[in-house]
Amino acid sequence: MMRFILADLRRLWAGSLVVVLLIAFATALGVAVTLQERALRLGSARAADKFDLVIGAPGSETQLLLSSVFLQPSPLPLMPGDVLAKLAADPRVSWAAPVGFGDSFSGYPIVGTSSVLAGSLSTLAEGQVFSRAGEAVIGAAVSLPLGYAVKPTHGLAALGGETHTELSYRVTGRLAPTGTSWDRAILVPIQSVWSLHGMGAHEEEEPGHGHAGATTPGHDAHDHDHAHIDPAAPLDEAWTAASPGLPAILVKPKTIADAYKLRQDYRGNGTLAVFPGEVLTNLYATLGDAKRVLSAVAIGAQVLVAAAVLLVTVIHVGQRRRQIGALRAFGAPQTAVLLIVWLELFLLVALGILIGFAIGYGAARLLSGLFSGESGILLPVGFAREDLASVFAITVFAAGLALVPAFLAYRQSPAAALRA
Amino acid sequence: MPRSETLSLALSGISVSYPGLSAPVLDIPKLSIAAGSRVAITGASGSGKSTLINVLTGLERVRTGSIRWGGTDIVPLSERSRDRWRGTHVGLVMQDFHLFPGLSALDNILLPARLSRAVQSGDRERAMMLLEAVGLSRAGQKIETMSRGEMQRVAIARALLRKPGVLVADEPTASLDSDSGEAVARLLMDLSVSHDSTLIVVSHDPRLTGRLDRCITLAAGKISADVQRQEKAA
Repeated sequence: MMRFILADLRRLWAGSLVVVLLIAFATALGVAVTLQERALRLGSARAADKFDLVIGAPGSETQLLLSSVFLQPSPLPLMPGDVLAKLAADPRVSWAAPVGFGDSFSGYPIVGTSSVLAGSLSTLAEGQVFSRAGEAVIGAAVSLPLGYAVKPTHGLAALGGETHTELSYRVTGRLAPTGTSWDRAILVPIQSVWSLHGMGAHEEEEPGHGHAGATTPGHDAHDHDHAHIDPAAPLDEAWTAASPGLPAILVKPKTIADAYKLRQDYRGNGTLAVFPGEVLTNLYATLGDAKRVLSAVAIGAQVLVAAAVLLVTVIHVGQRRRQIGALRAFGAPQTAVLLIVWLELFLLVALGILIGFAIGYGAARLLSGLFSGESGILLPVGFAREDLASVFAITVFAAGLALVPAFLAYRQSPAAALRA
Repeated sequence: MPRSETLSLALSGISVSYPGLSAPVLDIPKLSIAAGSRVAITGASGSGKSTLINVLTGLERVRTGSIRWGGTDIVPLSERSRDRWRGTHVGLVMQDFHLFPGLSALDNILLPARLSRAVQSGDRERAMMLLEAVGLSRAGQKIETMSRGEMQRVAIARALLRKPGVLVADEPTASLDSDSGEAVARLLMDLSVSHDSTLIVVSHDPRLTGRLDRCITLAAGKISADVQRQEKAA
């Protein structure tokens, strides 16, 4: 029987190919949406996993997370510098690292922080963590050699940012990959960022008015006091109340209980503390809405394709009436005819589904690769156990669908079929 | 391989009507065909020849009357039983061959047995022998690469695989050229004799009907003439 079916499919290869491709693309659409959404959730959750608590100035929790954890170049309001000193002295805190943004180099964001964070993000793949004002540690995905001189550009060069001439950072170390946005970051001492933007301890801007450390990309009102910066100056990471304002502090609490207490203490009075996971959950809810819309579109496409395939096969069975009648005339039982028509269609549908899953997976991998290249966040594309249920459900649906033309063939009178 | 016994036919009270037609397309009160006889059925187009063949082979179901082949009345049989009976006892040869492209000559011969899960040991050898008997030596040749005459020979070989008790051919030479038609006519006669099958042929081809020992003529669904020839064709 299989030999007959395969010969039949070979003979009708063009129509069979169209049916397979239609089903494959409809399936791929749904698979790609599911895999991509899951990859985004997993990737973002893993990327945020390294940061227990983020504290910033009051404002949008989402923006605080996106800027400080995912290094999205958007302005953040500043909070008073004494917050950092208080946190550093807090016995519930294992470490507290400031983060300040605003500069970039060759498309890589330059993040001002402390050597503690640079050493905690990941192990060093080579070199050492910065210990002087003019040194930098680069993420794993930054394609610069050790010893390279990084000349920071204010904002993004592509958006017209100007290059700081007062200081260039020398790359002293490279971090091992983390699968986060920080793989594409150039980490420098925050003191240097403050100085470059005219925000030394004695020239602090008024908190709440974002500037250095919270600049808009391409920001052109670049009129700070550009004092000379000694690149060999040793770092002083003893934070005091006189420290300049800063957009965010990444905090590693000692215990979970400490984390909740710190979050409680720093929500209000000029600060906003958030758990990245908590903010991500809200983001996922939004993402889930988008996924529902995309899934509805994909399901709509699949229903249309199923209807088209059903129509094509019913017409096909009509055109093959004489062949079916002949099979019956030569003694093939009704069940054999039913099985032939059902198997032919089911094979095409199953092949289409299989190819669709492969195309969907490939598309999700491609999209994730492009996204990872842009953001540094590793998006793990993979099938989960629940996908097996989807495959099973689609296969059962296809099997049911294939029964329609099979029953039409089954019910045909051989004499009437031969007269057709 | 066990063969179906040579079958005689005893038909009575058969009438076939289609909705929208005032008169039945087939109305035969009585018809008998002796086992092993060779019968031609002729008549004008629309006279009911194909309907008679369909009824006799169980392809067309009738509700009343009796169609007794040997000891079996096929009228009360279920669809499945008629399929099984036909697969076992009837060899069919049709004008359009109804061979399946993409398959070889050998596979086409074996296909009905395979589909009805009735392949027996020795079937393959018998199919090869039948191909040889109809003058074809390339068992693996794909059907679509054959001439029409060769295709009809394969169809005859297929019809004979089960050693049927009755061989029914519906216009077997109608779509063939003169030489091929002559060869197929001779083959049908020779093989039905050598297989000792009852042969019923619907045909207008005198090369074929002239060899048969009885000629039934249909007109408007009724038997208008039933002529027994004096000499049997060899």
